[in-house]
Amino acid sequence: MNIGKVMLQGTYNKVSKPSLLARKSKLISAIQVGLLSVLSFSAMADDTEINSAPLSSCYVDGLSEQVQCGSLLVAENPAKPDGKKIAVHYAVLPAIKPSFKTQAMLAIAGGPGQSAIENAAGFDRVLAKVRQDRDILLIDQRGTGQSNILACEDDNMSVLSFNDDDMDYVKDTQACLDKIDADVTQYGSLTALTDFEAIRQHLGYEKLHLYGVSYGTRMAQLYMREYPQALATVTLDGVVPMQQSVIAIGKAIDRGYALLFKDCQQNSLCGEQFPTLEQDFTTVDNALAEAPIEAQVRDPQTNEVASFLLTRGKFNGAIRMALYMPNIRSLLPHAIHQASQGNYQPVLGIYALTSDSTGIAMGMHASVVCAEDIHRVTDAIREQAKDSYMGRTMIEGLEATCSVWNMPQVDSSFSDAIESDIPTLLLSGELDPATPPSWGDMATEKLTNAKHFTSAFATHGVAYQSCGNDLIADLVKTGSLDNVDGECLEKDVRRSFYLNANTVEVIQASAEEE
Amino acid sequence: MKTILAMVRKELIDAMRDKRSVMAGLYYAIGTPLLMCGMFMVLIGQLSSPEDLSIKITNGNNAPDLVRFLNNRGINASTDEGVVAKDVKDIELIISDEYAAQMAKAKPAEITLIADNSNEKLQQSIRRVEQQLQAYSSEMGSLRLIARGINPVVVQPIKVIVEDQATPDSKGGFILGIAIFTMIYSVFISGMNLAIDTSAGERERNSLALLLSHPISTRQLVLGKIIAVTSFALLGLLLILIVSKIAYTFVPWQELGFSVNISPDFMGLMLFIGTPLAIMAATLQLFVSFMAKSFKEAQSYLTIVLFVPAALSIAASYNIAPDVLEWLPVSGQQQALMAFIKGREIPMLQLLVSSSATLVLSIALALGLEKLLKSEKVVFGL
Repeated sequence: MNIGKVMLQGTYNKVSKPSLLARKSKLISAIQVGLLSVLSFSAMADDTEINSAPLSSCYVDGLSEQVQCGSLLVAENPAKPDGKKIAVHYAVLPAIKPSFKTQAMLAIAGGPGQSAIENAAGFDRVLAKVRQDRDILLIDQRGTGQSNILACEDDNMSVLSFNDDDMDYVKDTQACLDKIDADVTQYGSLTALTDFEAIRQHLGYEKLHLYGVSYGTRMAQLYMREYPQALATVTLDGVVPMQQSVIAIGKAIDRGYALLFKDCQQNSLCGEQFPTLEQDFTTVDNALAEAPIEAQVRDPQTNEVASFLLTRGKFNGAIRMALYMPNIRSLLPHAIHQASQGNYQPVLGIYALTSDSTGIAMGMHASVVCAEDIHRVTDAIREQAKDSYMGRTMIEGLEATCSVWNMPQVDSSFSDAIESDIPTLLLSGELDPATPPSWGDMATEKLTNAKHFTSAFATHGVAYQSCGNDLIADLVKTGSLDNVDGECLEKDVRRSFYLNANTVEVIQASAEEE
Repeated sequence: MKTILAMVRKELIDAMRDKRSVMAGLYYAIGTPLLMCGMFMVLIGQLSSPEDLSIKITNGNNAPDLVRFLNNRGINASTDEGVVAKDVKDIELIISDEYAAQMAKAKPAEITLIADNSNEKLQQSIRRVEQQLQAYSSEMGSLRLIARGINPVVVQPIKVIVEDQATPDSKGGFILGIAIFTMIYSVFISGMNLAIDTSAGERERNSLALLLSHPISTRQLVLGKIIAVTSFALLGLLLILIVSKIAYTFVPWQELGFSVNISPDFMGLMLFIGTPLAIMAATLQLFVSFMAKSFKEAQSYLTIVLFVPAALSIAASYNIAPDVLEWLPVSGQQQALMAFIKGREIPMLQLLVSSSATLVLSIALALGLEKLLKSEKVVFGL
């Protein structure tokens, strides 16, 4: 009876916290794993200032079994090896039957800013077959999780009543930056990659198999570029190609909306129940663009009387987050339609669910995006984003953030396509509101030994929602793509849309009620 | 000492002469691990739920979303016209005709699950179907709450965080218990034929009296026989360890979620702990054989006597074993070995007591033997 977990299978970061929230944080959003879960490491996992014993037993959130944890002290700034040190924590989910002791599967979380270790249960499920004979290695990338996290939490704000339009990103970001005790310029992807490689050597793995999801695919691609000799296979799930700035995501989001409307329209039940879905959305969106709606509600969690201010940003943010998760996505037509009728309860429910978690370390997120993505936003992209509410607000928010979060730009070669002959499996979800299949195609440009499959029914994080996990297991097992075919991805696993607050099945005429 | 060694050599040469019967004892050491592995491979296949589980779903059209949900988790409806899947499990789901109407009103919608829960081959599959139905139900419950503006965490008042102290090795404890039992038992089986042959057999061939007429003491004769039989028992133990180490790696234990690994450390410990046991087995078997009047009688008695260590060993491999077993010969050693393989602390005191008891018993039996052989009744089988 794990309701919270069950429903979130297939999820990611949330909309949330005010400041970065409704706009910035949603950037890419990582993947799956229990939204509702809170990190709970055993005490053992914490005290690690020494590098001598690489691993000790520990428990990670969501897994009842003992796993192995450890940390490696590295220089915060690799150019100053004698300067400040930070501990980069990692966890090893040991192979059930360790037949390949010199190999491990490194699973890289998304965000940017998610903790891989906090998401251990999700990785364990998706990579269960790989784990039968290989260790799963999870590393909290520097700036996330337990590895000197760069968090920008603001617990004083009421999620329900705050007005995201009034937010001063520059001020909030400055406050966060002042609070953080770290050289934030050292928390970009390339520096973090040197930690990954150091941990590989520290633990004595000769070859790694990579599984990167969402932003994790960028880390995986950089690994392919910098240390190809250390890799056996690579899987990119929800691909962010090097050539692509993650900030230019507005189009992908709009595409996600359009697919939702189309899906519902083409589905006889949904189309009949909500014939004017797109119009309903536009009605609400336009009304909110004029002025936010304030409603007296019960707090979704505490049941206290609360004031809910529904803004355009929150409304769109909730829908965007729901699009990541196939099960919650199925509630959207009902929620949008109800909102157009003046009932904001379903939207409130979705908003509360997607805003109550703090899965992303926003400081680390800013370090990555401000060094690697913001300078790639061209006037053309800005122009294009003008038509898209989500795209526009996201760029504005991040530009404000990066004006404070001063990061040196990465070299222009950072954005070059990856050239490699490492067997590489790319997975995209047709319904993905963040990394559309076209991004996956872009990433294959110079990959000579790659296959790209698109699941027609998956959103973000294909392996969590389909047989993609089996494809990964095949790839790892054989070390080649020869026998990997995407046929099983064609299995119809779509979820039916909710037709009212209760059912996804036909509502008989006699039972009709709306 | 020299005389004893000569005796041992004589016994071993004797034993080698009748290769077939003596080797039969060693076949146990080679065959048992192989048979066990074969058996486990079959059992694992039978007990685990197939990756793609085909079951019968009646009225699946009433709940297409549920059927797709199950399908995505590898539980497939077999009876869609035309497509008859090969290996359909005897599990049936019947979706009630009221399902959709009940759902629409948020009344509990009925699904009937028909299966025989006493059928071991199906248990895992049944549990899997139940779990997935529960998962679907929970998910839907959560979404209904969201649709009403309520956070689904409110219906999960308690979050239980389980910290399971099992280690990967201890998860395979039951299997290892059986494996250790077969190893301990090999100590008793491997030397048995030689023990009978060198005692009751020797008497029947009338060579015992001849042997006694040589200028050696009864004690030297007894020691020579004990050492010969013990070395056969240890040879059997060594063989079964080597064969087990190799054979067990071929069983797909990982499908049961654990691994079974016979480490060199374990092999060393087993040989060390097994040595007193082998001595006791040898003296016990020689004692019983000399007591018997004939070769055949000796065989019958030994079969019965063998039941005792087997029973001790088996009892000790269950956790419900009474504590006293930790202190007894055989079961004490078995429990110490299991503790080692499960990564727990070895109960040193108990191991010491049970090993000492084993040796004391051996010495007592050896002295008894010595006394026996001074009696003409025994020497001539009168």
